[in-house]
Amino acid sequence: MEEYENKLIAEIEILRDNFIKTTEKLIKDVKRQDKIMLRSDKRQQQEYDELQRKFDEVAILQREIEDTQREVVFTMGAIGESRSKETGNHVRRVAQYSKIFALHYGMDEKEAEMLKQASPMHDIGKVAIPDAVLNKPGKFDEVERKIMDTHAELGYEMLKMSNRPLLKMAATVAYEHHEKWNGTGYPNQLKGEEIHIYGRITAMADVFDALGSDRVYKKSWDDEKIFSFFKEERGEHFDPKLVDIFFENLNEFLAVRDSLKDVSL
Amino acid sequence: MENLKLEATKYTPEISLDASGTVSLTGKSYPENTFEFYAPMMAWLEEYFAGNAVEKTTINMEIIYFNSSSSKLFFDFFDLLEDNQEDHKIEINWIFDKENESAQEAGEDFIEDFEALNINLVAK
Repeated sequence: MEEYENKLIAEIEILRDNFIKTTEKLIKDVKRQDKIMLRSDKRQQQEYDELQRKFDEVAILQREIEDTQREVVFTMGAIGESRSKETGNHVRRVAQYSKIFALHYGMDEKEAEMLKQASPMHDIGKVAIPDAVLNKPGKFDEVERKIMDTHAELGYEMLKMSNRPLLKMAATVAYEHHEKWNGTGYPNQLKGEEIHIYGRITAMADVFDALGSDRVYKKSWDDEKIFSFFKEERGEHFDPKLVDIFFENLNEFLAVRDSLKDVSL
Repeated sequence: MENLKLEATKYTPEISLDASGTVSLTGKSYPENTFEFYAPMMAWLEEYFAGNAVEKTTINMEIIYFNSSSSKLFFDFFDLLEDNQEDHKIEINWIFDKENESAQEAGEDFIEDFEALNINLVAK
């Protein structure tokens, strides 16, 4: 019996030794695990900070690119307008009017904002019209009128090669802003909704502003005259839906006109 | 003994196990199933040190990024090397880009944890 008990003790002692070895190993493993977690957390923090820093950098660059694009596009529009003896604010107002039309027509904010930026380029083709025609005082003869009218197609040719969505949009605007709803416009005598909505909107915005502005060759029209003109041209020159939008939201258009007045010529 | 070579993927490093005595791990290590991924490497090393090792074995580790389970795996890897340290000549080069601070720190930590191993920090 005594021998049996001793044997049991010996076995328990082996168990104890194994237990100590195992627990020591477990403790070592747990410590190691903690260490790994601690280090990983630290590394992840550093790496995430670094990523965050790079994301911020990318966002700044993105903004820079967008600002540059906006500026270039705006300047191109201004160049086009300066060739037509119009003022810088004309470009700004057409931009704003176009966005108002676009939003009420149902475009989302992003597309409307793009049109706001693209529409000022509608006359960019005028940079390629010879000075003798462009600066001619008085009325154009038939040949001169034809040359002048090529500015729509010229603008389109200048912009169409671009893959940038904004410039593609500007190409459409340049090409179609002299088309008329009833099919009597140029260069392609497009009719109704054959004319891209970007072209229809810019046409309306451009004409509204041109009529209400003093030019070296003409005085501005008063509002009554402008309004009756648009009523007459509803479904003729202009998309009836846009004319309706214009009258339904007249205050918005007039507010833009007030805020971006021209200094007197 | 045959060499084993695994090409790098987006999440795993290139692994080259050369029976002439050079083991290289190069790249990033954040696999989905770390232990499964490294199992063939660990098996190869077991076999290598069980009678196939040449006189001197060089380990080149150039790990630019690793997750926590890879960290655990590297501990197991260094344990294995430590177990064979007495009978074999083993040199480990922990290679890091001098711009990559966390890779350098990781190497320093391993040196501290495995005093018996011969780990060199190699900045490039």
